[in-house]
Amino acid sequence: MTSAYAPTQSNLVGRLGQAEEHDTLAARNSRLAPGDIVAVKILRFDRAEDRSAYQDFRVPYQKWMRVLDALNWVAENEATDLAYRWFCGSKMCGTCAVRMNGREVLACWEAVEPEMTIEPLRNLPVIRDLVVDRTPYENKVASLEPWIERTDIYQSFPEPLTHKQMKDASKALDCISCMCCYSACPVIGLGDLTNFAGPAPLVQLGQTALDPRNNPMKVKRALALTGIFNCISCYKCEEVCPASIPIVSRIIEPLKAKTAQLIPEMAKHSLALRAIVAARGRVDPSALMLRVQGLKVFVKLPRAIRLLVRGKIDLIKTFLKIKTEASEAAGRILRRRAATK
Amino acid sequence: MKFAYYPGCSARSTCAELNEATHIVAAKLGLELLQLESATCTGARELRAIDPVGFYALNVRILALAERESLPLMTICNTCTLNVLDAHAAFVSDPELAKSINAQLAEEDLQYSGRTRISHFLWVLHEDIGEHRLRELVVNPLNDMTVAAFYGCHITRPPLRYGFVDSRNNVALEKLAEILGCQPIDYSGRTECCGFHTAAHDEKVAIKLTGQHILSAKTAGAKAIVTPCPLCHTILDGFQAEIEKDMSQKLDMPILHLPQLVGLALGLSAEVLKIDRHMVPASALRPYMADIAKRSG
Repeated sequence: MTSAYAPTQSNLVGRLGQAEEHDTLAARNSRLAPGDIVAVKILRFDRAEDRSAYQDFRVPYQKWMRVLDALNWVAENEATDLAYRWFCGSKMCGTCAVRMNGREVLACWEAVEPEMTIEPLRNLPVIRDLVVDRTPYENKVASLEPWIERTDIYQSFPEPLTHKQMKDASKALDCISCMCCYSACPVIGLGDLTNFAGPAPLVQLGQTALDPRNNPMKVKRALALTGIFNCISCYKCEEVCPASIPIVSRIIEPLKAKTAQLIPEMAKHSLALRAIVAARGRVDPSALMLRVQGLKVFVKLPRAIRLLVRGKIDLIKTFLKIKTEASEAAGRILRRRAATK
Repeated sequence: MKFAYYPGCSARSTCAELNEATHIVAAKLGLELLQLESATCTGARELRAIDPVGFYALNVRILALAERESLPLMTICNTCTLNVLDAHAAFVSDPELAKSINAQLAEEDLQYSGRTRISHFLWVLHEDIGEHRLRELVVNPLNDMTVAAFYGCHITRPPLRYGFVDSRNNVALEKLAEILGCQPIDYSGRTECCGFHTAAHDEKVAIKLTGQHILSAKTAGAKAIVTPCPLCHTILDGFQAEIEKDMSQKLDMPILHLPQLVGLALGLSAEVLKIDRHMVPASALRPYMADIAKRSG
């Protein structure tokens, strides 16, 4: 890196409201000493009786105790019929995810809290206690056919692939299918309201769809099923991902870019915004709505009138495209990019 | 204290009242704002997905405009803040990208070296004004007005940008509300998403999600919601009528922009702060403003 581009860390290291230091694994562990009691509340569910209830347990803390250790202690000592999944105990198999105090965690990788409420993951049917049925997720992934289909001739062995070409797909390959993101996604939480595939299936798709060797027509078929533009970019998935995959910025956004290329009608909103910024320098919300929704916008006439009354929309501005320094700069930067694509 | 000020698109259109309130409140706080008139949109969520190179160029250009003035950059929109932060991070970690952007910027005699400090108004209040000075400036403590803080996503997530192990640990807005004399309340929607970014093509997600959050704040006893983001405000306030219809329930929840809440505590009137421009009337907050009327009258 040349000195002209010396990074200033001040933008990326924060203080109040920009970062926190107290909520680390070490800090959580230091809150308890051996012999202390961990108050555990577990949401238990019996499908046969269709009954769910919280059950309290008092678990003696042991040094370095994880959520999984607490569950094991409960199963061995107090509730031998407690249903929960785990296998590797080391953040590899992705089977032990639960919600602890309202947040998705891997039981094998999370320190216990003095008081914890443990619930099954959301957005998947519960089979019993903390065990969820992964079938809806697996069916979704299978429908996306996440494998590579080759139509062109292999150029050579090994194939001339660069790290740069594989940078996003390789991030997706870190996924352990633990379903933390799927449980945290608010859009998935809305059920059938949209056809959004959800973060975990999109990461699985990203492993092959972001691989440059894949057949674009096959990728197109899969992307058409994803409802990917229903992602609201809330980063809830990234926040809970135990594998630290930048799901929004390195998987969903590159997949959106591919969708915009292969199925532009799905990316109407994004393409309209780009065109508006290129022409005006800034977003004019009325122009954006007109472009994205077309005549459908008139269904929303009552709100438009209310907004107009409060001076929240300015139709003169919308219809008079005034040339400004900003519009010229945006045009220069964005139109040239479009031309060179 | 002087800042290059970037209001973003929303505060110059649907939330024009935010821009006006920010200028007035900043002056009260002793902040001098140089509005970057020639700055473009940061590209919202759309451009960064479908045209990352164009996205980086537009954002670095904004940072370069601030750098040309040798001023730190102040934003008032969450999504804009994250966009410029992400572009800055990409710029300083990818010399090839940096070089190509600077080649584009050279056409208008601009150049970025990576030195612009980026700060949202919320952080400016905490870091540049500071708790001590702010307490001195509060002339109308808000009489324990119960306020629900609605952070919005892009000022507290993603984790790699802000460093929160759990974004719910962010308390910057609650701390501030306390300084202003409010009583911050806890509720389930604090760090949840308003769904703005898909609302232009499909509003139903925003309506469903935000309805739950407003109801949770109301149930917890909030008299108002305060947000540091105009995009969240657009949904919380502008869509509240549709949300009420969807829930078959009245919510009547006034939504304040962050500078407006600060302004009320600094003794400015609701009219000056343009609170009357919102879709949901803030008449329920009148008891907290009565003091101001007396004071200014």
